[in-house]
Amino acid sequence: MLKSIIALALIGCFAVPAMADEDSERAAHWQELQQAFFGDRTVQPGEGTVSLDAPMRALDASLVPVSIVTAPDSKVTGLYLVIDDNPGPLAAYVTYGPRGDPGLLTLRVRVNQYTLMHAVAETAGGRLIGSERFVKAAGGCSAPVGANEAQSLAEIGRMKLRISGPVEADKPVLAQLMIRHPNFNGMQMNQLTRLYTPMRIVKTVDITLNGEPVLSLDGDISLATDPVIGFRFVPRPDSLPAKLHVVVRDSDNAVFEQSFDVPASGS
Amino acid sequence: MRLAGALLALLLGVCASPIGAADPAPEPEGFWTGPMQGAVPATIAGGKVVTTGELEALISSAMPALVDVGPLPHKPDNLAAEAWIAPPHRTIPYSVWLPGVGKGELAPDVEGWYRAWLTALTDGDLSKPIVIFCHPNCWGSWNAAKRAILYGYKAVHWYPGGIEGWQESGHQTQAVEPETPPQ
Repeated sequence: MLKSIIALALIGCFAVPAMADEDSERAAHWQELQQAFFGDRTVQPGEGTVSLDAPMRALDASLVPVSIVTAPDSKVTGLYLVIDDNPGPLAAYVTYGPRGDPGLLTLRVRVNQYTLMHAVAETAGGRLIGSERFVKAAGGCSAPVGANEAQSLAEIGRMKLRISGPVEADKPVLAQLMIRHPNFNGMQMNQLTRLYTPMRIVKTVDITLNGEPVLSLDGDISLATDPVIGFRFVPRPDSLPAKLHVVVRDSDNAVFEQSFDVPASGS
Repeated sequence: MRLAGALLALLLGVCASPIGAADPAPEPEGFWTGPMQGAVPATIAGGKVVTTGELEALISSAMPALVDVGPLPHKPDNLAAEAWIAPPHRTIPYSVWLPGVGKGELAPDVEGWYRAWLTALTDGDLSKPIVIFCHPNCWGSWNAAKRAILYGYKAVHWYPGGIEGWQESGHQTQAVEPETPPQ
C-alpha cells in the first residue's frame, strides 16, 4: 500500500513536463521585444538615467497612469514605453526637439494582463538605457470605452492645455495636454451588437513652440481613451509670450490642430 | 480601538479585492448570453465553487484537469501586422487553454471539440475533478463549467478567481499556447 503511494507520488513528480519559471519566461519575452524594436542594439539597465513609475496595482486597467523621469544632462533624444504583455506592446515612442525637455513624460495606458513595463531612453550618442516595473492590472485592453464614448466621439480632436508652475525663459515648463479621442483599440466589443468597434487610434501628436519642435509622439493601441500627455517644454529668451501648437493625426487620417497661448509668468 | 480595527479590516478587505467587489449575480436559467465581463454568480448548480486555497489543496491531493477558457485577444482588422505581437498567455501551470468554449452559444462543432477535450483530459472518467477558470468577473468560465456539468461530469470545480486570483496568491504562471477550436 505504502509502496504504491510512493510510486504514485513519484509518478506525480516526474510525469509532468519540466516547467520554465515565470521570471525567465518574462525575461525571454522582453528579449524578443528588444529584438523586434531595437534589432541588435542592446538596452542597458540604467535606473539613474531613466526611471519608470506606475502604480504596482492599478485600480482601473483601462486607465493606468505611467510616468517616465530622465536625469538632467542625460542627453535623451527619445523615449519608448513598452508594455511587455500587451498585444501591440510599443505603447508610445516620443522624440524630442530643441524646445522639448525629456525630464518628465506622463501617459495613461491600457494594460491587458499582469505585466512588466519598460521605459527605454535613447541618448544623443545612440545608447539605449532602460528600466522596468511590474504592474498588476488586467483586462484593460478589451474594457469598453464606457460612459465617455459618446462624448469622446462628439468632441473628437478637442484639446485642452494646462500649464503648471512658472513660465520663464530657458527653464523647463510643465504642461499637460488632454486630447478628446476615443482611441478605440479594435479589441473592444460593443455589448449590444456583439461586434468589435473598429480601431481608431491617435497615431501622432506633434507639439511645437513658436514653430520649433517640442516633441513628437507615435501612439498605438495601448494609449487610453482621451489621451493625456504630460511633458515639459523650454521657452527661448525673448520668445514669451509664445504659442504652443499641437497637431494630432489619427488612424482614420483625421487631423486636429489647436494653438495655445503661453504667457510669461508675471505678465 | 475596536472601531479602528473594524475600519482597518474594512480597508484591507476593500484593498485586497480590487476586482469583483460587486454583488453576485443570480444564476441564469441556461447559459449566460449577456456581456461576458461583469458580476458573476456566487454559485453554480451541480458544481463546486473553489477559492484559491481550495484549488491549491485540490492540485496537491488529486491533480485535476485544469481548463482555462479565457478568450483569445482580438487583433484589430485595420492594425498593421507588425504592430501586433500576441502576448504570452500566462496561466495556471499545467492548464490546457481552450479559448471560446465559454461563449453563451456554441457552434455544434466547437461544442463537440470541447467535449472531446474534456474526455481526453479525464480519460473518460466522469468522476475525475475538473477545474474551469478564466479571469475575475468572466462569465466564460461559468458557462464552460455549466456545460461540463450538463455533460455529466460529477466533480466540476469553478474557480472564479481565475488567473489573476492565482497570481494574487503569489503563485507562478506558465505561458501556454491556445488550442485551436474548429473554425
